[in-house]
Amino acid sequence: MKATTNFCALLVIALGATAAWAQSAGPTDPQIAAIVVTANQVDIDAGKLAKSKGHSQQVKDFAQRMITDHGGVNKSATELVQKLHVTPEPNATSESLKKGGDENLAKLKSLSGAAFDKAYIDHEVSYHEAVLGALDKTLIPSAQNAELKALLVKVRPAFEAHLEMAKQLQTQLGKSGA
Amino acid sequence: MWVAALLACAGVSAAEPQRQAQPAAHTVVIENMQYSPAQLRVHRGERIVWVNKDLFPHTVTATAHAFDSGSIAANSSWTYVPRKAGEYAYGCTFHPSMKASIEVE
Repeated sequence: MKATTNFCALLVIALGATAAWAQSAGPTDPQIAAIVVTANQVDIDAGKLAKSKGHSQQVKDFAQRMITDHGGVNKSATELVQKLHVTPEPNATSESLKKGGDENLAKLKSLSGAAFDKAYIDHEVSYHEAVLGALDKTLIPSAQNAELKALLVKVRPAFEAHLEMAKQLQTQLGKSGA
Repeated sequence: MWVAALLACAGVSAAEPQRQAQPAAHTVVIENMQYSPAQLRVHRGERIVWVNKDLFPHTVTATAHAFDSGSIAANSSWTYVPRKAGEYAYGCTFHPSMKASIEVE
């Protein structure tokens, strides 16, 4: 539980940093590119662990969906930054996301069965909420390149759908007493 | 000379018997986690093409199992020709919030 709290605090700090940016100059396009790629990769890595360690089939299916969908987003993001000759620039937000992702993985690895499912899905809910907030408040408004901005706008509905899926799973896991 | 050859080619192709017109095709675009148009009315035998413009796979799966595309990859499409009249609700098995329907006359 403590690890979850720590992770969420870290996520809020990380994405809060992007909110602070919004009031100043905002992240640059190379920084946004690094944040986008890292945010997707963190969820792909959690999904890979959940696909193998998950307890219920629904959680495993959800994990596969995250691997596939976020993998598709990252493929497009990588292709776009190459086309635009933008080199993703690691920054405080992307580093915090990576650190938070690593801590989440470490915590999940110590769990099993229903406890694993619950921790994974709880994290997926807070993760998608935080990323949606960052997209709306910072990343989309700050993006300078029109194609980068368009990509961010295009992926937003997927994050929204994932959040709804995760919330439904969270409710179901709660009902089943997990 | 070249112009004449080109014109001759154009003439040959224009002289080819016209291919039989295919039944009208309807296109449903899958983008931003939505089917557009979400409601579509077609006649039996008309082709419907679903084009996936999202960055990841979707499916076109009838609720009553009348048809199922399986996974349609990003930037790919799937074609279906309904043969029986009726109203068919469908959705994406990967993303349950995605819903739409076709009405076959």
